[in-house]
Amino acid sequence: MTDDGPHDRVALVTGASRGLGAVLAQFLARQGYSVIVNARNREALSTATAEIAESGGFVFPVPGDVSDPETQDALAKAVSRWGHLELLINNASELGPSPLPELSALAPADLERILRVNVLAPLTLTQRLLPALRKGRGRIVNISSDAAVGGYPGWGGYGASKAALDLLSLTMAHELTGSPISVVSVDPGDMRTEMHQAAYPGQDISDRPLPEITLPFWAWLLNQDPAQLSGHRFRAQSDRWEVPEP
Amino acid sequence: MTEHTPVPAIPTGKGADRPPEERGIARDKVRLLVSSPTEDRAYTFTDLADLLHPGDLVIVNESGTLPASLPARSELGQFRVNLSTPYGGDLWVGEPRWGFGRPGPLPLDAGTSIEVGGVPCTLIAGFPGIPRLVFLRADGDLHGAMNRVGTPIRYGYAAGEYPLEDYQTVFARVPGSAEMPSAARPFSRSLVERLRQNGVAIAPIVLHAGVSSLEMGDFPPGGIPVFPEPFEVPTETVSAILRTRSAGGRVIAVGTTVVRALESATDACGLRPVRGFTRLYLRPERPVRSIDGLITGFHEAQSTHLALLSAFVGMERLRRAYGAAAQDGFLWHEFGDSHLILAGPADPAAVRPGGDLYFESPARVRNA
Repeated sequence: MTDDGPHDRVALVTGASRGLGAVLAQFLARQGYSVIVNARNREALSTATAEIAESGGFVFPVPGDVSDPETQDALAKAVSRWGHLELLINNASELGPSPLPELSALAPADLERILRVNVLAPLTLTQRLLPALRKGRGRIVNISSDAAVGGYPGWGGYGASKAALDLLSLTMAHELTGSPISVVSVDPGDMRTEMHQAAYPGQDISDRPLPEITLPFWAWLLNQDPAQLSGHRFRAQSDRWEVPEP
Repeated sequence: MTEHTPVPAIPTGKGADRPPEERGIARDKVRLLVSSPTEDRAYTFTDLADLLHPGDLVIVNESGTLPASLPARSELGQFRVNLSTPYGGDLWVGEPRWGFGRPGPLPLDAGTSIEVGGVPCTLIAGFPGIPRLVFLRADGDLHGAMNRVGTPIRYGYAAGEYPLEDYQTVFARVPGSAEMPSAARPFSRSLVERLRQNGVAIAPIVLHAGVSSLEMGDFPPGGIPVFPEPFEVPTETVSAILRTRSAGGRVIAVGTTVVRALESATDACGLRPVRGFTRLYLRPERPVRSIDGLITGFHEAQSTHLALLSAFVGMERLRRAYGAAAQDGFLWHEFGDSHLILAGPADPAAVRPGGDLYFESPARVRNA
């Protein structure tokens, strides 16, 4: 786990200890990516790390809150072991208080926390990793949500943060046109995850599919020409994944 | 019956177990049942030249069939892998099977090494919701392996092993389907020529069909029984369809793959050129509006194809047609007989208040 090994594609996944992030990290490792995984929960991260390593993948854990500059230092240092980054998945997200308060009751401190993790952290981490992303002809994937466009009661803070992240994705894609770096945002759709359960405490969410439902989408997305997709937003669980017209 | 499971009591006829040529019939001389809103009549496939009118447009799938079934082995022993869909790079979706007539799933865990047609592969993950399919990462060229040791995918009902040519349609131009888009199989070059001379135009789409849904029982309840497939509806075909419609001609799809491609290229703004993957599941709750007629085979009860047909003309008409076909000895399966289903004005008698299988015919929706 400490040897760099022969792997030449490097991916970094934040929020990789559980849910979609853990599923993605495993899927990437099995495809031969060296995967740097980050999550706040040290114990959960080490479990997820062990699972990837057990199945033969190369995984490098960096515990810590992704909005914390020291965690970002550690992530940048991890990437510097290779010097190039092929894939950055900004997946770690802050839902906010559970149960979800309506906007009339959303505390400013809670909104600040949501924006710091869901908007500021992906931006500052991406800024720091741009040189490595340039070398790796890297793809940046920002994980969005249908709440970014839905206006669902209770989801206002989280949804606003994801709407902001969508606009950062689009803008950065335009700013990076002509560079080897691409940026997309992905709405993974409703899934049976701890975060989704936290949004609906005590409710039965067993009708939602597990995060694995999105694997065919990721298989598709990551094998498309990144330049053609850059600047677009995708829904992982839609009936159709379209290559945009140039 | 729940609203999402169109499982009708529908007649099923005898299956063709070999290509028509093996039965002494030219490929364009299979039988053709023509189902209009009011009746079902038996013809020969070559009669299509007179059944279609000048100004009609026939949409065909140009996907060619691959020799996608490969011998495989792992610690489990020898088996087969039917390659379904390339996702690009070294990533494939495939179906490990015990044999041609013996479906999986096989007890293979993620991370397992499998040799497929001599190419070392790793099982990356199970396919979500469809236990018999897996993601494979190939450390080598699986297309090359198919050309060396692959055979066309066949199932237990096939009487023998037939060459790849028997699984190609006259329109095949872009290899990529795991299984033959079989609706176009009865077309011969001479029939295509006659249609063109009669003023019938032909335009292409591409949809690379994955492994078929012959074993629908594998799908878990509530799961989507359709998996993503690569497709493209080109600009020229969109233009041809719009021209045909404005001139009052009919758009006739050859095969359910064509219907899925056209419906996947249709959104609130209408039809437009699209390239990507589709997993659109056409069923009675999601009516078909993009075509006026469909040439297809005869499909087994509970197949997704049947759900698509009932999305087009309703289960009552389908039940009537299948009853006539079964009684008259029409043959089911990809080497069997053919069926031209024409949309038409809605039959008021078919309206059953509260019925879950009736829906408006495409023609009426369009004229509204």
